[in-house]
Amino acid sequence: MIERLPLPAQFDRLIMVGGTAAVLVMAPILVVLLALLIGDEISAAELVFWLAFTVIVAGALGTVLLSNIVHAALALIATLLGVAAIYLLLATEFIALVQILVYGGGVVILIIFGLMLTNAQADPVVTDGSQKPFAAIVGVLLGGIFIAAAIDAEWGAEAATVVPFRDFGARLFKDFIVPVIIVGVLLDIALSGGIVNARAPRDDDASETEEGAAS
Amino acid sequence: MIPLENFLILSAILFATGLYGVLARRSAILILMSVELMLAAVSINFIAFASYLDGDAFSGLIFALFVITVAAAEVGLALGIVLRLFRERQTAYVDSADSMKW
Repeated sequence: MIERLPLPAQFDRLIMVGGTAAVLVMAPILVVLLALLIGDEISAAELVFWLAFTVIVAGALGTVLLSNIVHAALALIATLLGVAAIYLLLATEFIALVQILVYGGGVVILIIFGLMLTNAQADPVVTDGSQKPFAAIVGVLLGGIFIAAAIDAEWGAEAATVVPFRDFGARLFKDFIVPVIIVGVLLDIALSGGIVNARAPRDDDASETEEGAAS
Repeated sequence: MIPLENFLILSAILFATGLYGVLARRSAILILMSVELMLAAVSINFIAFASYLDGDAFSGLIFALFVITVAAAEVGLALGIVLRLFRERQTAYVDSADSMKW
């Protein structure tokens, strides 16, 4: 069967390694940014942006590179919370709150439940396929094209505008009521389908009864 | 003020990282997590464009909200499929789901 560390030891190690890594990465960046802020080189908004930038990029790299799936899920949480900070910077509080609620509270928990139920740790930890170098080439090329296009284009950007909560709700449920209902139906169908798929098999499928009882 | 390009560069990095994850990973759940990264990158783009270029700044927010909703639906459905796959094959690796491969 599976080798398992006792849970507290596992958590201690996780917190120690993760916390040390986070401090090692973040501390110098924070010091540099604070020095720039005090020297009036950057504004407070830019400080927040670059902090969120660091968290998002580090978390995203952790999500795609770590071989322990639970650690990858934790890195995903960091990334999604950093994205919520970016939404706050762009003056869209409502989307930021929805991001934290739905992703931090819902999606990631669901993913971690999925990890537990599929017992992914039991498999030998070869999480990446042999196509890894090609994937890296594709990712770097596409990212390079996007960045080059973003820098090259002339955007003529205006100041960021703010949509108040109140207007947001009023317009969402007045002008966009049909899409909202359609998305509700979509959610209903998708989650019903998920339940039907994940449901334990019936008794007449004798070979699977033990698996079914376990899930 | 932060220039628009900064948000676009962040979004590009996030999207490329997610794409790498989708292509390189074998576990279905890790692929799902990488897809979440790509969706977050797209949402950042929508919201950045909405608040910088659209004086009204509303339609981009609606798109981002719907992206979040559809991502939630997608995760629910996909995890159901992954659980089913695990029950049938005792593994959650996508390369073991090859019975339709000729």
